[in-house]
Amino acid sequence: MLQIEIDHLNKHYGGFHALKDVNISIKQGSFVALVGPSGCGKSTLLRTLAGLEKTSSGDVRIAGRSVIGKPPRERDVAMVFQSYALYPHMDVEHNMNYSMRLKRRPKEEISERTRTAAETLGLGNLLDRLPKALSGGQRQRVAMGRAIVRNPKVFLFDEPLSNLDAALRVHMRSEIRKLHERLNATSVYVTHDQVEAMTMADHVVVMRAGVVEQQGSPLDLYDRPANRFVAGFIGSPAMNFLPATATENGALVLDNDSTQIGLNRHIAAGCKFWIGMRPEHLSLKPCVNDMAIDATVTGIESTGSMTFVVLEVASQPVVLAHSGRPETRRGDQVRLHISLDNLHLFDRETELAA
Amino acid sequence: MQGIIRTIRDGSGFDILLLGLALLYLIIFSAFPIIYNIIMSLQTVDMFTLTSFNRPFVGLQNYYDIFSQPVARTIFWNTVKFVVLSIVFQLSIGFGLALFFQQDFPGASYLRGLFLAGWIMPALVVGAIWKWLFAGDFGVINYVLTSLGIADDRIFWLSDPNVALYAVIIANIWLGIPFNMILLSVGLASIPRDVYEAAELDGAGAFERFRSITLPLMRAQLGAVISLGVIFTLQQFDLIAALTQGGPADSSNVAQYWSWQFSFQTYEISLGSAVSVLMIIFVIVVAAVYVRSTRHEHSY
Amino acid sequence: MKRYVLLILGLAMTAIYLFPLYWMYLTALKSSTEIFQYPPTFWPSDTQWNFLEVWKSRDMGRYIWNSLLIATGVTILATTLGTGCAYVLSRVRNVWIEIALFAILMMQVLPSSLMVTPIFVMFNQIGLLASPRIAVILAQTAKVLPLYIVLCRATFVQVPRELEEAALVDGSSRIGAFFHIMLPLARNGILVTSVLIFLQSFGEYVYARSLIAKNELQTATVGLQTFMGPNANDWNGIMTYAAIYVTPILIVFMLLQRRIVSGLTAGALK
Repeated sequence: MLQIEIDHLNKHYGGFHALKDVNISIKQGSFVALVGPSGCGKSTLLRTLAGLEKTSSGDVRIAGRSVIGKPPRERDVAMVFQSYALYPHMDVEHNMNYSMRLKRRPKEEISERTRTAAETLGLGNLLDRLPKALSGGQRQRVAMGRAIVRNPKVFLFDEPLSNLDAALRVHMRSEIRKLHERLNATSVYVTHDQVEAMTMADHVVVMRAGVVEQQGSPLDLYDRPANRFVAGFIGSPAMNFLPATATENGALVLDNDSTQIGLNRHIAAGCKFWIGMRPEHLSLKPCVNDMAIDATVTGIESTGSMTFVVLEVASQPVVLAHSGRPETRRGDQVRLHISLDNLHLFDRETELAA
Repeated sequence: MQGIIRTIRDGSGFDILLLGLALLYLIIFSAFPIIYNIIMSLQTVDMFTLTSFNRPFVGLQNYYDIFSQPVARTIFWNTVKFVVLSIVFQLSIGFGLALFFQQDFPGASYLRGLFLAGWIMPALVVGAIWKWLFAGDFGVINYVLTSLGIADDRIFWLSDPNVALYAVIIANIWLGIPFNMILLSVGLASIPRDVYEAAELDGAGAFERFRSITLPLMRAQLGAVISLGVIFTLQQFDLIAALTQGGPADSSNVAQYWSWQFSFQTYEISLGSAVSVLMIIFVIVVAAVYVRSTRHEHSY
Repeated sequence: MKRYVLLILGLAMTAIYLFPLYWMYLTALKSSTEIFQYPPTFWPSDTQWNFLEVWKSRDMGRYIWNSLLIATGVTILATTLGTGCAYVLSRVRNVWIEIALFAILMMQVLPSSLMVTPIFVMFNQIGLLASPRIAVILAQTAKVLPLYIVLCRATFVQVPRELEEAALVDGSSRIGAFFHIMLPLARNGILVTSVLIFLQSFGEYVYARSLIAKNELQTATVGLQTFMGPNANDWNGIMTYAAIYVTPILIVFMLLQRRIVSGLTAGALK
């Protein structure tokens, strides 16, 4: 069953086209991440779902009913804000049950549900604190509590973890995911961090400049990026791109170099491409179905478990991910082994996958 | 009807309602009087035509009349002196005090707060106090001046046509100092300390730091304070009413008081309107400059 | 050491500046013969407490009552009309709002002494001068409303937008979010600004003098002006009157001084 349907949605701010013909369908119970660089329209899209922004054209349906023109309070959605937006003049308990008080639910129900939600989030002994007396992580939990206490149709998250430190952020990722599963809720999660999107969501929507560039399961986006932008955005470290041109015999020749890369598929001669190679599909040792080219090591960055070797290939920088510690140094001449099964090709004019 | 209630509860109708009420009030009681004032300045309005809606139109005759009054010249120059001298002294004393209280010593901000007492008091009461301070025979100012040897004899501050205007200006400076000082203090406090520290490392002395950092960074602030000073000085009425009432013989009269005298003492209301129109235009021009200057502030 | 030299200098400057206030209280406490002594005394030799006498003989109760009435009316009217307007101006951004804000800033600077002529004629024609205190309230509200809006707007600007949005998502209407979230969070600024316009209206002079004809409806400022008269020499009484009148103002102001200053500067410079 579809919980949210976004249908040919457009939004203009004056002369600025913020959302361009957006179409997204979200199933009941799924966790959707909207991801993209800042200014791509992901927050605007989320705020449109919440009813905080007006739309210019198109339709948005929640649980089958169009919500265009409806104020937020008639949409039954809950939202966790980046700044948490806790009401500073209310204690934790009143922050959490404000929505139920607005709906004039019976007193027993309000206190019962507030307590349950608080215990779920480990806020049980903080109920009478004011937000200013809480730590960043606690505030974040209260913001979550305010959302789950209502049992809404849809949860909206607007970069909820970006104000936390790195360790807490990783912890909260799995917490949110667990909560989502337990509540069997439908969640839409905005983030600029593709790792967050990949690890948390069932369905990732990559946006750029108001356009949905690609959507699908996380691994789908990783394995089959639809264009150069998505390929470069998803995955860390980012995919390497080398410019190349197709020859008469169906091989690719790297620009600024004479290295030929043979491909077992048909391409028209003279077409210009980007060859995309993920750092983890490059190696300094031979592997299955590979080809080797000359490269110079220009830098080595080690995180301990992983080592990123920066190479120069055909005057272009290329990053290689190596688990463990390779025996190589800056300035070494090495043979770079490229796994031909994992190469991506993008047309240099349209940037689309070829 | 349903739709109206809905937009007021949830939509932009709420904004329009809240904004509209206040704007409507201001249009009726502020904007309309200005327009009405302009109309009256082109008519003959006196005791006989006061309540009539059909008053004779005289064109620019009223403006011609006020400029052909023999005192017009005196009042024009008095107004200029009143504004310029008030601002020069308010600003320099206020700036000096702001710099002084910017230093680090116990009670600095508390003492600075005490200065504001002068600003919150009704100007008419301040006028009454200064009238007593300025009193010719028993005034404490004359006593201090003669005993310090600054003045040879008692000065009849309020009844001597040569000094009456200056007496009003002195009292007005006293009133304006706190406001200038506080606004400039805020400006000084907003200059980051590290800019001064950087200048000190670059070898700038105290005076050089003031000239090359404080003054340029305070330019927008100074502009705003000067514009506000002009505006507030031209609003000053109560002080004149309490001290000299424009006298003796218009020697301390200024435009805003003159306008009022036409309307409420000699009932030549259209002449009062004409003076008022000219002054309002001037005030609005200054205010526009002020608003512009606050929009172009440094990002500090 | 330097800090104490500065402190002494600071005390001296404050003392010089506040001397007129000291002189007011001193004169009020001196006897009527002592005030005319020359050289003047700087400490009362024979302290007189004639506050009650002046209060009664100058009928101050009535004057102060009228001033309070007018100041209260102005404050209620200005807060009612201005708070919502300030809120909208702090939230919505478009060309019309910019124009409205500019117009309000312009109206803030119109001098009462220049506006009183058209207001007098206009009120006279529509019969408002028959209830002159209401006329003064209406005119003075138009004078202080722009200032109130500008200062309150600065307060609302400081309340994060997300708080209001969170309330809307939580199921609140615009009206509900305004009253339950925005107003409580802007309460301090609103209170301080209200006190400020109350104090200003409590000392109003031009409109009262020009629009109120009957003496028994007059305000404390006009009462003081009448007391001073052309050939006044009861300076002892006049200063007592002034002291009674301004002492409450000074006390309220000193209590709220810090907040008034921060609100005022935010409004004037931003």
